[in-house]
Amino acid sequence: MRQSNFRSTQLSRRDLLARVGGVGLAGLLGASPWKAMAATIVELPFVNGRRELVTNFPRKGAMLLQRTRPPLLETPFDVFDHGVFTPNDRFYVRWHLANIPTTIDPATFRLEIHGHVRQPISLTLDELVDKFEPYEIVAVNQCSGNSRGFFHPRVPGGEWANGAMGNALWKGVRLKDVLDRAGVKAGALQVRFNGLDTGVIPQTPDFMKSLAIDHARDGEVMIAYAMNGEPVPLLNGFPVRLVVPGWYATYWVKMLNDIEVLNAPDDNFWTAKAYLIPDTPFANVVPGQQGVKMIPINRMLPRSFFTNVKDGAVLKVGQSTPVRGIAFGGDTALAQVLFSPDTGTQWQEARLGPDHGKYSFRQWEVPLRLASRGAHKLMVKAINTAGSAQPDHANWNAAGFMRNVIESVSVQAV
Amino acid sequence: MNTSRRNIAPIRVVPVLLGIALAAGLAWPQTTDSQPAAEKRTSGPGQLWSKVSVVLPTSENRFPPGKGSQITGQCLICHSAGMVLRQPPLTLDEWVGEINKMRNAFGAPLPADQVDILAKYLYTINGRHSSGGPTTVDGQGSR
Repeated sequence: MRQSNFRSTQLSRRDLLARVGGVGLAGLLGASPWKAMAATIVELPFVNGRRELVTNFPRKGAMLLQRTRPPLLETPFDVFDHGVFTPNDRFYVRWHLANIPTTIDPATFRLEIHGHVRQPISLTLDELVDKFEPYEIVAVNQCSGNSRGFFHPRVPGGEWANGAMGNALWKGVRLKDVLDRAGVKAGALQVRFNGLDTGVIPQTPDFMKSLAIDHARDGEVMIAYAMNGEPVPLLNGFPVRLVVPGWYATYWVKMLNDIEVLNAPDDNFWTAKAYLIPDTPFANVVPGQQGVKMIPINRMLPRSFFTNVKDGAVLKVGQSTPVRGIAFGGDTALAQVLFSPDTGTQWQEARLGPDHGKYSFRQWEVPLRLASRGAHKLMVKAINTAGSAQPDHANWNAAGFMRNVIESVSVQAV
Repeated sequence: MNTSRRNIAPIRVVPVLLGIALAAGLAWPQTTDSQPAAEKRTSGPGQLWSKVSVVLPTSENRFPPGKGSQITGQCLICHSAGMVLRQPPLTLDEWVGEINKMRNAFGAPLPADQVDILAKYLYTINGRHSSGGPTTVDGQGSR
């Protein structure tokens, strides 16, 4: 019953959602009038953070629209309070290039494996399913620039709040098994992945990403043909996408149709020149700092979030309230989630929910009883099994990558 | 397509895990509603390799009028206006950096002599005064 008390508390809090309607908006959005009347605007908590909640993308429910073409759709954060598996129709969407096939015919689709191999192979989807041992893993897919909108000073790019991430059960085949079928030759260095999307003009570099050969063959990197027990939505990479557990989503190539084994370092734009981070702890530099060694972005860091309490929430003094959220360990398992009711002065260990594997979201919960009236700052911190903990201070880099600072919410006790 | 091939979907672990959680007396929120009915209806496991055809929405978002706004047609070749309009306010130099990133990294067909005009336009609609500090724009073009 504490639960229901809490939910009514939530309803009374100042809500960030504002309902807007009117013909002007209908014209602006190109929506039908009845739809525009119900259009919902969400104000993300940073400058120029106004987002429309849209429902007009295929196999997607209500998503925060950042860009229509190519689509950038953010998961509204409330979704993460419903469980650790992010529903496919609420899973965030991020495309780089606008020439995205809108029709995929499984009868003609082929996955090519070629390059520095003994025998190039071309697989149909049925062959991928039938000829390889199925493999499953639960893993978080997080955009390199998740939370970029919170960077200070601000940096240009995809201006996400915290919803450019999701967690799913991926089913498919191990990349290792597929590479072994083609036979990787001695001297292979990297494996490069390409999907069906291309730039609108030929001058735009095709989106491709590479992994080191040993990483590609580690038995965890996989080619997924199912997401949460369903086909992968087209906007998340139908018919197959790469899954790179523990690594940022830039490597999880969507609509994967071409795998090339390389015997020389990949010099393509997206691997060699884009998605680079400062080679420093937490990819952190001082704004304007020059001469820092840059390396490709790689392993994820631990993070934790509140999902049932937001800034401005009003709680009752002396009443126990379950405070909960989600956390993940990054490139290895979550070890602990610590909660502080007092701006980080005291920390207590949160109770953790069911474990779905080391790359998954995991829920955490603490009972909270605030003893005094007034403002309280709640904090949450994840620590992974490698001992990496979320830092007290936010990182900064010019690309807006890898934010993982301790999260906090300010609440009022009355 | 034979039946065994079609039936490749993973077992539905969510309800099982929820059951375990409830048995353990935990108050984790409901997860069974995380698979929407519409999704099950449109593409259940039995249809896994059905042909997929979708229509992606087009953007009705427009750049506001102003001197230089006509050049934004070049931007719209590759992306809709929302990406630009939802950026944080940038200094004039930062807008120049963004435009040159589009030209140099992505091949935007924008003549060099139009960069300053477009930058001034973008600065006018979404600019901030330079504080004298360092620019926060880098040239990776990965974002």
